[in-house]
Amino acid sequence: MGKKTIDPALVQSKLSVWEPRLAELQRQAEAETDPKKKLKLGKQVDRTRDKIRQIKTGERFSRQTKRDMVAYSFILPNFIGFAVFTLGPVIFAFVLAFLKWDGNSPMEFAGFGNFALMIGNTRFLASLRNTVIYCVATVPLTLAVALGLAVLLNQKIKGRNFFRTVSFFPYVASLVAVAAVWNMLFSPAKSGPINMVLYSLGVAAKSLPKWSADKDWVMFTVVLFSVWKNMGYYMVIYLAGLQGVNGELYEACALDGANTWQRFWYITLPQLRPTTFFVTIMLTINCFKVYDIVYMLAGGSVGVLNESAIVLVYHIYEEAFRNWNLGYASAVAMVLFLMVLAITLVQFRGEKKYAN
Amino acid sequence: MKKRRLLSLMTAAAMAGSLAACGGGNQGGETTPAAAGGGETAATTATETVEAKEGQTVMRWSIWDKDLTAYYQPLIDEFEKQNPDLKIEMVDLGSSDYQTVLGTQLTGSGSDFDIVTIKDVPGYTTLVNKGVLEPLDEYIAKDNVDLAAFKGLTDQITVEDKLYELPFRSDFWVVYYNKDVFDAAGVDYPTNDMTFDQYDELARKLTVDVPGQEVYGAHYHTWRSAVQLFGILDGKNTILDGTYDFLKPYYEMVLAEQEDGICQDYATLKTSNLHYSGAFSQGNVGMMNMGTWFIATMIDKIKSGEYTDCANWGIVKYPHADGVEPGSTLATITALSIPASAPHKEDAWKFVKFVCGEEGAEIIAATGNIPALMSDGIADTISSKDGFPADDGSKEALQTANLYLEMPVSAKSSEIEIVLNEAHDNIMTGNTSIDEGIADMNEKVGAILGGGQ
Repeated sequence: MGKKTIDPALVQSKLSVWEPRLAELQRQAEAETDPKKKLKLGKQVDRTRDKIRQIKTGERFSRQTKRDMVAYSFILPNFIGFAVFTLGPVIFAFVLAFLKWDGNSPMEFAGFGNFALMIGNTRFLASLRNTVIYCVATVPLTLAVALGLAVLLNQKIKGRNFFRTVSFFPYVASLVAVAAVWNMLFSPAKSGPINMVLYSLGVAAKSLPKWSADKDWVMFTVVLFSVWKNMGYYMVIYLAGLQGVNGELYEACALDGANTWQRFWYITLPQLRPTTFFVTIMLTINCFKVYDIVYMLAGGSVGVLNESAIVLVYHIYEEAFRNWNLGYASAVAMVLFLMVLAITLVQFRGEKKYAN
Repeated sequence: MKKRRLLSLMTAAAMAGSLAACGGGNQGGETTPAAAGGGETAATTATETVEAKEGQTVMRWSIWDKDLTAYYQPLIDEFEKQNPDLKIEMVDLGSSDYQTVLGTQLTGSGSDFDIVTIKDVPGYTTLVNKGVLEPLDEYIAKDNVDLAAFKGLTDQITVEDKLYELPFRSDFWVVYYNKDVFDAAGVDYPTNDMTFDQYDELARKLTVDVPGQEVYGAHYHTWRSAVQLFGILDGKNTILDGTYDFLKPYYEMVLAEQEDGICQDYATLKTSNLHYSGAFSQGNVGMMNMGTWFIATMIDKIKSGEYTDCANWGIVKYPHADGVEPGSTLATITALSIPASAPHKEDAWKFVKFVCGEEGAEIIAATGNIPALMSDGIADTISSKDGFPADDGSKEALQTANLYLEMPVSAKSSEIEIVLNEAHDNIMTGNTSIDEGIADMNEKVGAILGGGQ
């Protein structure tokens, strides 16, 4: 760049264009009264100044461009990975949703055919129903349990750290292992530990639930397991939220004669609203993506989920990699995506309303 | 301010968490089931790197359970001895989701497998439908391979007049029995010509229902084949018929046994994921119907001292319906194919021909497994193997009359499989009555067979 010769005549001719433009912009900026527009004009002035300086020095890039390039170069390594492994496949899945493809044969355009197929597919309808039931049951239950645990374990009680660890344990324990243990506890046999308890409480042997093998109880078992497994993670988030609540608020509240319940209701809960909002969104998204838990609890040795337990992500997997209907599977994935998107948007709206 | 910083911190943490979860959950649709299903398949493709010498061609062969299967290495050793310029490299794709993983591997054009093992018929039809397998007819015609030696098996896997795989193992179902259990109950051993009624009666005689010392007369693994396919053995119906009323008597028999504690409860077996080998080796099961692939396992594990409570065992032919020739049973074949994308097709065919031919059959039989090419000499090789039950009945049980594939070839087989599995599960757990379950199968399979996509 240093060797580049600068032609003074060319510089002059360029400057004769840019300098009046700068003067004009400056004048406009002076005269402007609306602060927003003034700011915008100010930026334009800066850019033009930069441009003039660039013409004078003969550099290839302006200072701003250089700064931008440095910033982008920091983002680039991560972005390449994201683009190759996430963005690309996501876009491809969008396209696939409108095609008929088995991975090898030539693709055929299917239009909305894949979406039409869903309506008549009993397994899709069952998986949609189960996923919704699962979410509606799991999200509030997990929220309540996690908040309860967090409030309890935020107090100065003996063995607090021990109980915190115990509550967090299910989250880090291997799913395969704890699912096996869980299925043993909830064994469908009369001799299963939980059924034994129910039996001694007077439930007739014939009407003991078969838990994860029972079409009416399987979702209940799955929800119970999910709440137990995930409560620790959200408890930790709530604990972090509780640390951020200003102690003076409680003092003031106590001075006003509030009891424990009122302190919880009027101080803790509103102060935790951002946390609750965040936890709800994460939970909802994770619930819609549920797959492994159901598969482990109700899959049996063949790994096939029945209509009583099938969930959307399993349906996607089954159609894509067992039956090789990649187009149809992508269409189902789109439906799942749109559902999650819609719910998240609604939640964001609701949060804004509350905050104001 | 403080709150805000906290929130953004939490968001960052959770985003990292959810990204990780994405990798394991949503995006990983293809990997999670394998990892979750078996545990041992987590390290999916374990490749044995083979050093190629100058001028040698290395061919990749997809298999499962490399360490548990005795005949892979002897087959390769013998083949490489005969063909010094060829090398075989085994690629273990894991057993629990083998066909799914293989299907994924062969999708697109990136695969470099020369030979692939096909585990079952639905997997075979899926791959044929995908058009990723090479038809073998030309090779067969060129080398004059006699398909008659496969006793009609190859006819059952022909798709639109083309054959895409050659079987090298043909397992069929027999009844394993524990002689100690029979002795303890003072009951005569089962015979090769028992009817279903006699079988049921025998199972009931063996059963002890004293809590803590239960003995089960019969054991049915949770697979649909173990109960449902009793129904097709009379040769009058097939599992692709679309009407399933003929299954009723067999479900009634097994459900009654379950009710009376003759066999273990299906729901418990399902949720505890008890493997059939675990059930039989505990020594409290009188009879268990299972495929002949279990013979080699029994011999090995008894020899190594792992199974002590079922060391005194025997096999008999499947029970038969009234008026049907004994020896009709279910068969399942394991076969070799050459992918359409294979880099060395001619050399791969040499290997396929070797493994599925007589020499390969001898090697497979010597390990206690049943090769597809079955002759009297090969049957003798199996039954004379050290550890095979010495009685004549067990030897005779290896002779079969009619073989019915567990799942015949059909373009719809994997869809039908799902319906049949679900109905089986619902009937066996008592979620639906037998009649409801059968009505469900009739309706859904009828819809699959009737309306194309």
